[in-house]
Amino acid sequence: MCFKNLPIDFDEQGNARLRAGVADPFSYEVKELAPLGSPEGQEKLKQLMARNGHIRQVDFDPVTRVAGALAFHTVVDLESRQVLETDSMATLFRGYELILKGRDPRDAIFISSRACGVCGGVHATASALALEMAFGIHPPPMGIVARNLLLSIEYLYDHPLHLFLLAGPDFSEPAVRETNPELWERAQRSTAPGRDVHGYDTVAGIMTDMTPLTGKLYAEALHMTRVAREAYVLIGGKYPHPQTIVPGGISATIDLSDLNEVHLRIVKFFDYGQKVVAIWNDLVEFFYEANPQYREVGTRPKNLIEAGQWDDPYAYDGTYANADEWGRARWSPPGVIRDGELVTTSMTAMNIGVEEFVEHSFYEDWTGNGNGNGSRFPTDPTGNPLSPYHPWNKETIPKPTGTNWKEKYSWSTAPRWDRTAMETGPYSRMWANALAEHYSHLKYLEPTGHSLKMNVPKAALPGAEVEWHIPERWGAFERNRARAHSILYTALIAYENLLIGLDLMRKGDTKTSVPYKVPKDFRIGAGFWGAGRGYLTHHCVIDNGVIENYQILTPSTWMASPKDPWGNPGPYEEAVHATPLLENYEKPEDFKGIDILRAIRSFDPCMPCTTHIYADSRVISRDVVTCACGLDEDHEH
Amino acid sequence: MIGGVGYRNLRDGSLGPYVSDTLADHTREGVEIEDLSYGPVAISHNLHDRPPYDRVVLVSAVSRGRAPGHIERYRWDGVLPSRDDIQERVAEAVTGVISLDNLLIVCGALGGLPADVRVIEVEPADEGWGEVFSPEVETRLPAILEAVWTSIEP
Repeated sequence: MCFKNLPIDFDEQGNARLRAGVADPFSYEVKELAPLGSPEGQEKLKQLMARNGHIRQVDFDPVTRVAGALAFHTVVDLESRQVLETDSMATLFRGYELILKGRDPRDAIFISSRACGVCGGVHATASALALEMAFGIHPPPMGIVARNLLLSIEYLYDHPLHLFLLAGPDFSEPAVRETNPELWERAQRSTAPGRDVHGYDTVAGIMTDMTPLTGKLYAEALHMTRVAREAYVLIGGKYPHPQTIVPGGISATIDLSDLNEVHLRIVKFFDYGQKVVAIWNDLVEFFYEANPQYREVGTRPKNLIEAGQWDDPYAYDGTYANADEWGRARWSPPGVIRDGELVTTSMTAMNIGVEEFVEHSFYEDWTGNGNGNGSRFPTDPTGNPLSPYHPWNKETIPKPTGTNWKEKYSWSTAPRWDRTAMETGPYSRMWANALAEHYSHLKYLEPTGHSLKMNVPKAALPGAEVEWHIPERWGAFERNRARAHSILYTALIAYENLLIGLDLMRKGDTKTSVPYKVPKDFRIGAGFWGAGRGYLTHHCVIDNGVIENYQILTPSTWMASPKDPWGNPGPYEEAVHATPLLENYEKPEDFKGIDILRAIRSFDPCMPCTTHIYADSRVISRDVVTCACGLDEDHEH
Repeated sequence: MIGGVGYRNLRDGSLGPYVSDTLADHTREGVEIEDLSYGPVAISHNLHDRPPYDRVVLVSAVSRGRAPGHIERYRWDGVLPSRDDIQERVAEAVTGVISLDNLLIVCGALGGLPADVRVIEVEPADEGWGEVFSPEVETRLPAILEAVWTSIEP
């Protein structure tokens, strides 16, 4: 029994059925949002802020042009060092669902790819998977291997970026000196246990080299992104937004030279991955030892969702009917973790438990009256019950009205699994993998039920067994530590797929795609895949050869979620609310919000570090370097 | 090298890619034409890999509150903003933002650009979704292309 809140039971054959006797199974009552947990909270909050200088609103507003652009509103008590209120705002309407309506289904691969400028290939692949399910095709083994390699390489590009360019600067010398000088003093005296691997004598040395622009670790991460990009284009032809992803495989051919070139680049991540793990282990443990409260930064319940990714080239058949089987055969199997327990590895159970709510989002409820009626698909293709709020039933109807914290405040929907807020990321992959039973890809990975052992082959550094442990307390620092481990995890999966690719080549099995025709009859499909930040699904409905409905559910949508109909916060909101303010400040004016930013950035949101921090009357914004003088004239500046 | 910078399918905002596409078939000896509408960090990496250019001419629509269709041509002075601002731009660049300012700042900081960088900016009237230019920019296209060619003269 994996559902606690949805009225879905399973029969003896494991088929999901609606619980008998429930009249309106997916209906719900909307709870009015109440600041400070009471109906009088709003007024009380106003009074508190008026009376006390230490209670104030702090807005983090990094307006960017990337998909999932985020702003964050908080009310903090700088005396008790607590966060009182949080509201997560996705400030950008993407609208890809509307753009795709009525188009040739194949367009979805190339158009949906543009949903994100960071995740340059994953949307294309998720789209191809959805179309494969709808078309009834699947790639040959080499096509699947190629897709697996592309996914891995994309992560090998993405993780160093996050660890050293986006989240990393929050742990660099300038940031630590400015916000917690006592920690910097301590770091200079603290020897680094991982010195033999990463080469730094002290934790301060690590922090110094994490300094943006001048730090060696920063520069090295930039370099490693290049190594990954080079590997990507060897197979995919272009990054981001490859033109080679097609339903039924990839449109490029692969030869031995390509695989050898990719091999040279993947093995570099064996050494780099070991180094990054050692660095983040030392950083995380340093902060915990300095102040155990750092374990609370960004903490939230261990509720995670993973759609699964990296298909077994001999198991994947693209059908929904067999999704549980090929899903469990993936290198990273699908899984839902609730309160730390793996409650399902069934792709279909994972899928049918998903709903999206819009009570606090700038959309209109598509079900008409909000009580669960109006469902286009009462069941999935195998007869499992589907909520009217499931992506296959969802319609995107923008309605940017009622803009306030009580009503609507975000362009993100509120996705829930079994009506529970879920987070996702590289750690959900490894976590589901660590808990997976009957796991078959044991060449380099070994799930233990409480950890994941990774057997790293020798490169320039000696081979090693690196173990990622499921943390006792889940929070911001553990997210970063897990992401560091995920470099190795990803590189090992890439390596195994590379070896399979070489074996296929030896056998002459080099076909990378299958022919297909766009069906003209009614079809539905879903692509279950992953992005650097976690869970990614595309759900499509096709009729008369065109897209009738298309729904993209991204990791940032899960995690930047506003509150749900019951008033429960989304993951960012939960994590920031639980964050203690450990920054060293004497006056409220000195407050920088580093702990809040560490909490938010640990999720790797689609949000660069260009945070415009607005604290009451203080606004820090950026300058534009080029001036606008001498119009229509030649000049120098 | 002549490089266009911008996003496609955003009307006037797509001027940069339009210019590089249009000029690609009419290149002149000793001049490379390239669409530079991709991550500036990757552009910096690629420029480092090549023999140095004598001059880079960048073309882009940039909204700065001028009269729509206005053409501004200048030699970039290479002055960079504060370290924090550069870091912000690098972070924007790696998370998908493509813009002339980001290219200049990121490549200016990480290297790869020659000392001689010429810029041709055009004020857009409409950067909404679409494939055609606004009338204000459409009428200036011959002047824009002429500005590009004169910018490569010694």
